[in-house]
Amino acid sequence: MNVEISDVTRRFGRTQAVAGVSLETGPGVFGLLGPNGAGKTTLLRMMATVIPPSSGRVRLLGRDPGEYGPRREIRRRLGYLPQSLGYYPGFTVAEFVEYFALLKEMPPAQVPQAVAAAIERVDLGGRARAKLRTLSGGMLRRVGIAQAIVNEPDLLLLDEPTSGLDPEQRVAFRALLRDLGERATVIVSTHLVEDVGAACSDVALMEAGKIVFHGTPDELIAHGEGTGAAGDAPLERGYSAVLAAARSARAAA
Amino acid sequence: MMAAVTSAPARLRTPRAVRAVPLSAARLLRLELRRSVMPWILPLIAALFWFDSYRPSTGTAALYGLRTFWNMGQGHTIIDFGPFVAGAAAWMGSRDGRRDMADLVTATAWPRWTVQLATWAATAVWAVAAYLVFVAVMFAVYARQGVAGTPPWWWVAAGAAAVAAFSAAGFAVGAYWPSRFAAPVAAFGGFLAMALSSRTGFSHTTGWAQILPTNSNGNFDGSAQANAGIFYPWTPDLPVARIMFLAGIAVAALGLTGLPARSGGRRLRCAAAVVALAGVASAWTAVDLASTARLTTHGMVIPALHDAANDVPIRYTPACGRAGTVPVCVNPAYRSWLPDLTAALAPMLAETAGLPGAPARAAQFAAPYPSNNGALGEPVTLGGQPLVLRLSLGLLNMPGSCRLCVGPAVQKGFAGQIKLLFAHAFVDAGARPGSPAQQAVQAALEDTAGVPFADQTMLLTMTGTPWWGQPALLALTNGSESGNGPGPLAGPVYAAARRFAALTPAARHAWLSAHLAALRAGQLTLKELP
Repeated sequence: MNVEISDVTRRFGRTQAVAGVSLETGPGVFGLLGPNGAGKTTLLRMMATVIPPSSGRVRLLGRDPGEYGPRREIRRRLGYLPQSLGYYPGFTVAEFVEYFALLKEMPPAQVPQAVAAAIERVDLGGRARAKLRTLSGGMLRRVGIAQAIVNEPDLLLLDEPTSGLDPEQRVAFRALLRDLGERATVIVSTHLVEDVGAACSDVALMEAGKIVFHGTPDELIAHGEGTGAAGDAPLERGYSAVLAAARSARAAA
Repeated sequence: MMAAVTSAPARLRTPRAVRAVPLSAARLLRLELRRSVMPWILPLIAALFWFDSYRPSTGTAALYGLRTFWNMGQGHTIIDFGPFVAGAAAWMGSRDGRRDMADLVTATAWPRWTVQLATWAATAVWAVAAYLVFVAVMFAVYARQGVAGTPPWWWVAAGAAAVAAFSAAGFAVGAYWPSRFAAPVAAFGGFLAMALSSRTGFSHTTGWAQILPTNSNGNFDGSAQANAGIFYPWTPDLPVARIMFLAGIAVAALGLTGLPARSGGRRLRCAAAVVALAGVASAWTAVDLASTARLTTHGMVIPALHDAANDVPIRYTPACGRAGTVPVCVNPAYRSWLPDLTAALAPMLAETAGLPGAPARAAQFAAPYPSNNGALGEPVTLGGQPLVLRLSLGLLNMPGSCRLCVGPAVQKGFAGQIKLLFAHAFVDAGARPGSPAQQAVQAALEDTAGVPFADQTMLLTMTGTPWWGQPALLALTNGSESGNGPGPLAGPVYAAARRFAALTPAARHAWLSAHLAALRAGQLTLKELP
């Protein structure tokens, strides 16, 4: 298992962002769905070792991120695209990706090739020397993806990766996700259910800090059939039905 | 409990080679150097450096001690760099926070503190390198202008340490307060620190305040700085203490940036705390050392740091000329003033030739530092057997090279000052205004050597004239006779001086031969003058 999470919680003051999540997953593309404020980003930040859990147990790539040495090893093999990606406007695309390749402790001799390959994979080869301040929002998102995959991570965490991408790029990105999922664990947090349907082999749905559904996209679709739930696509109806059921159960409790 | 999608084992990767770390660090530093904001601020600093550090210095005589008094001694190079460097460093320190990059950087293998140190290092390298280049260019220009003596390298090093300290302190401000306002606040804080440092420097000549980087009451005090690096090496004691202090501030500031929880693991944060404490200890020790500093004849000495080798005079072959028949020798650093000096001494030596108190030769001696009561030493004295006219030119206002400092007026002033001081030494008034009779003979000798009575009051006020000139001036200004000075030009001292000057040279010579010993002993009154 690349990700083993057991009864994890995370509080920010009085707010419980994650309330007892358990999850295990290996290589493949894993979709994390949920409405705004469901706790997806917090869960991803814990998996990215940015913040520790308030309680519970997390093991990533077979290691305990609570200890310094294992955490460092995890981070070498981790790719992370945060929801709000910042950037250094004075850096070029290549410099930015190289910067993170070095911070991920890639062997220096491999860095130039890896940087070029990552930039090509997000279709920014022609803009490698462009300053980040000159790029559009969608291009910046692709730069963020390039820095996340530059070290060929075993665990790739992507928070809203397709926001800002045009339809053509989204299609290409889904193909990239499937390719990456062949050997690595890719966890994609999104509220765009079509991305999940197109790329994910497994999906979880979060609501109010808890996972309220975990299964395949087909199983999620099945939850929506015949319920009259809102949505234009089968996956959206399944998403709405699961959410509605979870909210009803929470209200009843 | 959620089901797993697959259960394939995680791949194992070979641990990273340790030797790759310096290479990665070097490449990271290269990236940071290329994208640092510091180069953008350097043109502004260069302009300020030119107008505030270089240009004012050119108004002084071509001696390193004088040329660097303004920019190194009073720390104007630091003032020019410090606030801007602090601001730019704060901008870089706040970068990750402002740019919402903190999560991304934290999730990498490098501890965030070490990443921040790389960013700071690039900022500091730019700032310190620019400082050293600017100073090197300034010294190269000085060298082309024929500035004599030895550059104050220890003070340059203290300035570089100050620039590094400003960069570290500014960076820490930015790291703790990742706001766009961090840079202007850090810059203003740097300016305020410099203003307080300078202000304290003017009012505290001893004690802890010597540690402040723009306090000029160290090797650069009084007028004797002209001889530092000429007769004696620059004493490194105080600069070394200041480097300790500034390096301590830099290290403490950098250690502080490693204390927050997300900076790294527990061990690293403990190391950061130790680093911060070491910096504080270094700064504290330096303040303690500075409070033991004392002024000696060669400069500021800190007993715990002092190396006796710095008290050994610098060997030199004097540059010599002749004033009439009397040889006049100076340190080669003063060679350019030798013609003016011999020309000024010639009429005085001719007037006194053959008298029992006439010197056999004139030689330059190192100017001592002011004693603790603030009184300057006597720039011209007579001593030894045979008598030697001892010239401490470092205490005088040597003619400079600026537009306002050359020309007949200034050269005439320098010549008149030499004549005044010679006459004062000749009548043996010592470090006092002298008796009225001594003052009258002194004034008469100056008049016969080409300094009219009307010009003599101006000479008493010139920089380099010892404190005995000041009460004399006061007496003249008040328009009343005074026991401390010659009084007004219409007064009895100058009346007696005019009578004595009106005698023939032979008559003056004969009278001085007979009465010089009594005159020097202060036993004669004005009425006893011919």
